[in-house]
Amino acid sequence: MKKQGKIKVKYQNTAYLFILPSMLILTVFVFVPLIAAFVISFLNMDLYMSDISLAGFDNFIKMFHDERMWGATKNTLIFTFAEVPLQVGVALLITMLMQRNTKFHKFLRASFYIPYVCSMTAISILWSMLLNSNSGMLAYLLKKIGVVMPNLLSDAHYAMAVVILVTVWRNFGYTLTILTAATLDIPNSLYEAADLDGATGWKKFIYITIPSIKQTIGFCIVTTFILAFQAFDQIYVLTGGGPQHKTETLVSYIYDRGFRTEHDLGYASAISVYLFIIIAVITIVMRRYLNREEQK
Amino acid sequence: MKKKHRKKLHIGGNIILFVVALLVFVPLVWLIVSSFKTDADVIKYPPAFLPEQWVLTQYKYVSEAIPVFSMLKNTVVFAGSVTIVSLIIDSLAAFAFARMEFRGKKVLFTVILMTMMVPFQIIMIPLYIEEYKLGILDTLLGLILPRASGAYGIYMLTSFFSRIPKSIEEAARIDGLNNFQIYHKIVIPLSKPALITLGIYHFMNNWNDLLYPMILTNSVENRTLSAGLAILVGSNSIKYGPTLAATVISIMPLLLLFLFGQRFFIEGTATGGDKE
Repeated sequence: MKKQGKIKVKYQNTAYLFILPSMLILTVFVFVPLIAAFVISFLNMDLYMSDISLAGFDNFIKMFHDERMWGATKNTLIFTFAEVPLQVGVALLITMLMQRNTKFHKFLRASFYIPYVCSMTAISILWSMLLNSNSGMLAYLLKKIGVVMPNLLSDAHYAMAVVILVTVWRNFGYTLTILTAATLDIPNSLYEAADLDGATGWKKFIYITIPSIKQTIGFCIVTTFILAFQAFDQIYVLTGGGPQHKTETLVSYIYDRGFRTEHDLGYASAISVYLFIIIAVITIVMRRYLNREEQK
Repeated sequence: MKKKHRKKLHIGGNIILFVVALLVFVPLVWLIVSSFKTDADVIKYPPAFLPEQWVLTQYKYVSEAIPVFSMLKNTVVFAGSVTIVSLIIDSLAAFAFARMEFRGKKVLFTVILMTMMVPFQIIMIPLYIEEYKLGILDTLLGLILPRASGAYGIYMLTSFFSRIPKSIEEAARIDGLNNFQIYHKIVIPLSKPALITLGIYHFMNNWNDLLYPMILTNSVENRTLSAGLAILVGSNSIKYGPTLAATVISIMPLLLLFLFGQRFFIEGTATGGDKE
């Protein structure tokens, strides 16, 4: 090892041994597949990997004429733009109502986290049973007060709303935990000053809490947004993308075209590339915006 | 006047909290108690919330109808191995990034961080092909290997290891410890809470994952619980009662873990917020 003049940086070659296993795994299972995803989108290729040929831009051209693809894009946008504000909004509302760190509030916070510990699969099975219009509990209770509940999950008007609400039901506790951790870090002196001015709980929340946790709210929105764009589990279990593809998201569509119906990996890859570009652009734009806010 | 108003708000707030708590608890309790119903109770109309008789019939059915216990075993092996192996591999890498100097460190770290932007959904098709070519498709090894290291773990541990004071490390070097001994005897023991938190995070996410095990396994014997359950429910091949039991089996282990190690679940989530 050479000493480089006055600079005391001493390079340690053993470092490469420490990072070797993880670089190997990441190379084989992340970098190579990522490049391959782009390559495959320019190929004609099916699940059985016979008859592979160059497709050029065919898959992409096909995509832009594919109504189901545009439908899936629309559904993904509807799902995301309804689910994210609801999840973060509900979490914020509850954060506001539980500003004291009492035992009772701690207990509630832990309770609200429980659905998040259960898989989205289990939660979706649970709700599809509760919402069953023939034998479900909810249908029976509604009938008692004179409301006939339609089969919500196979009704084109309601299916998406149910998918969104079930997602919020499972995930709001996660956002709540992040927001609460941030509010507990706000110095008490800020609130004491507001007390002297006679501010009410509501006002304190708007003028002190929200501005202090703005960064964290931004973080929650970005991460929830990215996850919502990849929604699959709840759709697979609750509706399978139906009725009439009304709840089919981009990931559900990729799965269906690639692995379930047509086994067309080339075409499914083209849609993946399209989804990746959307997610990357949104992430970069949102991060930029957040960083600018931070500098203000 | 103002005090009265405030009190009203306070009561209103507690009513909302109470309603939300009911909305969260009632469905979960319903799921668990219903799994102990008899066949007659399950399809009874009008439905009753509690079982008339508490029985294990549904659990017996489900264990006969589907290999639910081998799925449980697969899930434990998959989530458990990913957790342990990735903690080892990621902590080694994080040690290098946090405590050592080497050429290309910055570039490599940035590249690793960028992989956080690549969701599994984007690379699932190539990954499927790759595993097929490597002959590990539809094996537990094929489920574990791609998750054996990840950007989030490396990132989180690097920032944790960086906060360990330099003086401790220097004292160890004077005692003649080499890098691996410092990692093994000093950094790891000092980082136990961070490792447990990250471990719980990995365990929960892998346990609950659906699309990933669904793509990479296709025989019933190699399925994890969520993948097996989702497919069975989707194909309507098991009845209502056994589905309840299978669902409870799939969530119970994590719920019990949550009951005892709540702090680590919550901390793992809360520190996620500091990521920026």
